[in-house]
Amino acid sequence: MSDLLIIIPAYNEEKNIERVVDHLREQYPQFDYIVINDGSRDATARICREKGYHLLDLPVNLGLAGGFQAGLKYAWENNYSYAIQFDGDGQHRPEYIQPMKEKMEEGYDIVIGSRFLTEKKSRSMRMLGSSLLSLAIRLTTGIRIKDPTSGMRMFSRKMIEEFALSLNYGPEPDTVSYLLKQGARVAEVQVKMDERTAGVSYLNPVNASKYMIKMLFSILVIQNFRKRDKRYSKKEGKQK
Amino acid sequence: MTTVLRVILILMSLLILAVMMRRIRHAKARIEDSMFWVFFALLLVVFSVFPGAADWLSDLVGTMSTANFIYMLVIFLLMVKCFSMSMRISQLETKVKELVQRIALDDNKLEERMSELEKREKKS
Repeated sequence: MSDLLIIIPAYNEEKNIERVVDHLREQYPQFDYIVINDGSRDATARICREKGYHLLDLPVNLGLAGGFQAGLKYAWENNYSYAIQFDGDGQHRPEYIQPMKEKMEEGYDIVIGSRFLTEKKSRSMRMLGSSLLSLAIRLTTGIRIKDPTSGMRMFSRKMIEEFALSLNYGPEPDTVSYLLKQGARVAEVQVKMDERTAGVSYLNPVNASKYMIKMLFSILVIQNFRKRDKRYSKKEGKQK
Repeated sequence: MTTVLRVILILMSLLILAVMMRRIRHAKARIEDSMFWVFFALLLVVFSVFPGAADWLSDLVGTMSTANFIYMLVIFLLMVKCFSMSMRISQLETKVKELVQRIALDDNKLEERMSELEKREKKS
C-alpha cells in the first residue's frame, strides 16, 4: 500500500474512465487509486467492475464536492498520508503527481497543480474568471494563487481529516482561500493539462457565471465570517 | 416610504444577516444556502437606504406606492425561493427513497449469503 491515494471522481465518464485508469495502473502502479462513481447514469460503474478497478459506487448523485469528500473519507479511514484529486476525464496528467508529492513533503498542507505558475495565462473568458478569483484571494488573504480553479490538488493527512469530516469544505477556490486565511500552507507546482477528449464539460456560460458569482461572493464576503473548528486550529498551534 | 418602514426593513435585514452568518460561523448552514438570504437582505437595505431607487422602480412598474412595490418584490422573491425549495425537496425525497431501498436490498443480499454460508458450515 502506498501512502498516497489518487481520488478519481467520475460522473458519466464511460468514454474516458478506462483510458485514464488503465494508464495509471500500467504506468504508475506505485500509487493507490480509487474511482468514485458519483451515481452516473451511464456504464461507468459497470466498466469499473468488469475491469476490476478499486471503486466506491455512490448509489445517488452527490455532485463533485460530495463525491470527492467520499474519497477523502476513504483516504482518512485507510490511513493515507496524502490524497490527490484527479479528474476522470483525462485532463490531469499523472506524471506530475510525483513532483507534487515531493513539494508536499517539504511541509505544505495543500499543493495545487498549477497551469500558470511559470506559464502565462491566455486571454479568454475562462482566464478572466481565473484572474478575478486570484485577485479576490489576494485581496482577502494577501497571498498569490496563480491557478485557483485547477482541480488537481493534493492534500496532507491533516487536511484530509478536516475536509472529510466538516461542512463547507468543497474542493473549490473559496475553501483554499479560507484555509489560507487560517494559516494553512499552500504551494503550487507547474503542470500541463490536456483538453478533455470525450464527453461533455459541465462548464457552459450559464453555469460558469453562476460558479463565478458564488465563488467571488463566498471568498469576498462569507469566508470572513467563518470560524474554524477548534480541533483543527489547535493542532496548527501545537506544531508551531 | 415612511421612515418607520425603512427602519423596520433595515432592522429585519440586519437580523437575517446576523442569523445567517451565525449559522455559517458554526458550520450549521451551507454557503450555497446562505447566498439567497444575504442577497435578499442586502437588497432590502439598499432600498431602505436609497428610497429613490425604489421610487423609480415603483413608477416604472406602476404600483400605487413604493411600499406596495416593496411588498410585491418581497412576495415575488419568496415565491421564487419557495418554488426552488419545492424542487429541491422533491429531489431529496427521491434520493432518500433510492438510498433506503438500496440499503434494504444490499442487506437482504448479505443476509442470504450469510445464511448460505451457515448452511454449508452445518453440512461439513
